[in-house]
Amino acid sequence: MPSPSVATTGYPWPIETARLDNGLRVVVSSDRTAPVVCVNLWYDVGSRHEPAGQTGFAHLFEHLMFEGSVHVAKTEHMKLVQGSGGSLNATTNPDRTNYFETMPSEHLELALWLEADRMGGLVPALTQETLDNQREVVKNERRQRYENVPYGDAWLRLLPLLYPPGHPYHHATIGSMEDLNAADLATFQAFHTLYYAPNNAVLTVVGDTDAETVFGLAQKYFGSLPAKPDIPPAPDGTLAGGLTEPARETVVGAVPAARIYLSHRTHPFGTPGYDAATVLATVLGSGRGSRLYQRLADGKRIAQPDYIGAYGVDLAHAPAPVIVTATVKDGVAVEDLEAGLGEVLDSLVDEPVTEAELDRAKALLTTSWWRGLSTVGGRADTLGRYATQFGDPARAGERLGGWLAVTAADVTQAAAELFTPESRVTLTYLPEQTEETA
Amino acid sequence: MTLIAERPGSGAARPYRFPDIVRRTVAGGRVVAAHLPGQMLASASLLLDAGAAREPAGREGAASVLAKALEEGTTKRDATAYALALEGLGAELSTSVDWDAFRLAVGVPVGVLPAAVELMAEAARTPLLDPAEVSRVRDDEVTALKMDWAQPGPRADAALRADLFDGRYGRPLHGDPASTAAVTADDVAAFHADWFLRPGTLLVAGDLDVLDLDALAAAAFAGTSGDDLPVDEPLDVPVRDARRVLLVDRPGSVQSTLRLGHRAPHRAHPDYVPMSLAATVLGGAFTSRLNHLIREVRGYTYGIRGDFGFSRRFGRFSVSAAVQTAVTAPALADTVGEISRTRATGVTEDELAVARTWRAGQLSVEMQTPGAIAGALATLVLHGLPDDYHATLRERLLGATVEEVSAAARTHLHPDGLTVVVEGDAAVLRDELVAANVGEVVDAKL
Repeated sequence: MPSPSVATTGYPWPIETARLDNGLRVVVSSDRTAPVVCVNLWYDVGSRHEPAGQTGFAHLFEHLMFEGSVHVAKTEHMKLVQGSGGSLNATTNPDRTNYFETMPSEHLELALWLEADRMGGLVPALTQETLDNQREVVKNERRQRYENVPYGDAWLRLLPLLYPPGHPYHHATIGSMEDLNAADLATFQAFHTLYYAPNNAVLTVVGDTDAETVFGLAQKYFGSLPAKPDIPPAPDGTLAGGLTEPARETVVGAVPAARIYLSHRTHPFGTPGYDAATVLATVLGSGRGSRLYQRLADGKRIAQPDYIGAYGVDLAHAPAPVIVTATVKDGVAVEDLEAGLGEVLDSLVDEPVTEAELDRAKALLTTSWWRGLSTVGGRADTLGRYATQFGDPARAGERLGGWLAVTAADVTQAAAELFTPESRVTLTYLPEQTEETA
Repeated sequence: MTLIAERPGSGAARPYRFPDIVRRTVAGGRVVAAHLPGQMLASASLLLDAGAAREPAGREGAASVLAKALEEGTTKRDATAYALALEGLGAELSTSVDWDAFRLAVGVPVGVLPAAVELMAEAARTPLLDPAEVSRVRDDEVTALKMDWAQPGPRADAALRADLFDGRYGRPLHGDPASTAAVTADDVAAFHADWFLRPGTLLVAGDLDVLDLDALAAAAFAGTSGDDLPVDEPLDVPVRDARRVLLVDRPGSVQSTLRLGHRAPHRAHPDYVPMSLAATVLGGAFTSRLNHLIREVRGYTYGIRGDFGFSRRFGRFSVSAAVQTAVTAPALADTVGEISRTRATGVTEDELAVARTWRAGQLSVEMQTPGAIAGALATLVLHGLPDDYHATLRERLLGATVEEVSAAARTHLHPDGLTVVVEGDAAVLRDELVAANVGEVVDAKL
């Protein structure tokens, strides 16, 4: 049983792997503590694979995966998982699509059967009616999460400023209404045929089971699915460093107060450079002891304390962004807030990070790491990520050590390298009228 | 391709077990702890009888201002030193206010839990509450509430609550911008003096082989005195004679935010289990009647849910959704229709089978972390439940019959007495809502 005093790795549980003849990688991490098991599938397809005119398709497709397959009737997938006591979901981001369910462990085999059926048998069950219904659901998701909320479209606006046209991260995963409206059935059938293959997926099972059992069941349910040759890679995301000219957008809209988002491209997730950027973002903008909070929310008191921070978005296939955000306090000019943010970013170079700041950041990151691994679901997704993106689930154990190895000098150097004025994206929201809506 | 056609059956289930519970009285306070051997993280909470119901009239939000002010310095150190001490452990103080209690919590690697509990207690028991700082925190909280209230939802929730309840329970849980603006530094200091200096209960979830509960309790209860306060009687459950539609204007909104609700019994009501299951069939599970019809058949929404919410003195039934503006009236008709059908004809065995197994399974699936276990301990304490409560609850869920659950739907759902709140573009919606004849349409007073 792992405990912090003996944990010399960020992943102190067993990891066993196998690969089926059809290329499906299977990862198992046994933990008998609770009678629950998580089944997680990472498919190496995300919105970065979408060509122009098909934005939002990877995500809309994710919805279709819950609508039945050859042996599973429409609505039956959810009913079988919840009717077994399980929780399930799926998410799509620029890099990948993941599907997962945590079940009472006696239902492990059911979860594997359901996942195999929709990996290998979705296309015959896909109907125009289902597509039309889920298209409307996704359009409502877009309205609810991005359009009807103040600042809700910030991410949609930052991406095209950060990444050039044609870059796989240029457009947001939710896609455009126009492209969603144009989506036709044949395109989705082809999408599944192209990407939903055993050799393009990682199956991870964590919890109350053992590797022998899982390997046997994986062979039983997934073993007969054919590998697909020639799965096309996403467009190359390689970019040399950050922007060479600053980019700026100002939005006047229905927002209660002016808000600024600053962003810089950094390094791809999983690199030492991104580990330094992660620690840098934590020093800068995580918690009340962070520089942003101390100097702008406390200190100068020009930013609202509940809406200030900095964080990285963990994307692996191109330099990932760090985003800094702050919202003005009543009566503060947005120009003053922008100047204040600039000064705090500059301070990371001019006033090198202290050991106390560094230790605080590392302590917060350490707690956050263990919290992420405190459920079988969190562990399964982490192993699936490292297997998919770095070829080895055991590399998950390196991340915490990577963060802890970052020195104060590394943080200063990262700030000097990354937070240059010429590579900065500035997105500003201004309220339509001076009077706030209460 | 040869997929296996036959759906596999279930393996043998391991017997359900909630972690071992330790209850102790130390230094005048109670400790309730769950043993999680080998867990890397541990969670501790201080549960105080200082919920929003304790706030004086016109000062709704005082407890939430206090929650923020606790971290603005203590009698031992200033705000910056406090933040650095706590975050240096990898901890952040989380605070929550609900109708029944005020809760502070920390979750950290188990080795630093004692230090984190000391800091949590320092903020809870000996905050500085400098009047100038408290006034600043209050102003910041007003601004934060205005930010929150600019989103769809809070105004609709407030309109529903005001229509269903009187007095403090008819006002928003965390106050509104106006009531919070009226909170003074003296109000905050008085709220602290009145409700934060009794011992309360310390909840601990973690590896008790390496945690010293007596030492944790000594830190948590230092400087406190007094006994637990009595709990007031539950409220009655009056229901409207006719449905009523409250319109909350949100000009230009691309969606309408819907809230439908009525009052319901309190948490300790004997029908708690069948009521919960009826709501699961109607609007809790993904395959619920509401989500199936409104999302999966109609495509009107990204999601809709309905449930009973329970506190010590009252409950309420409510349905929440955001639907595309153009389908507001048909979505309401469908929603009221499903609530009416559930009341009139009850649930089926097929639906109930999913609901009872899901709810029972969630007792394992959703309780893996120390934070989730500490939350379950809070439920035991607040509602005076025994150590074997979760195991008993599981049996009761699995044993519930169609007759019991249908009877609960018949008794506790009131489709004809619903308050229906629509937050959306009133200029577009008003005539359509009047024509839809869901109920009298009036503008919400906020």
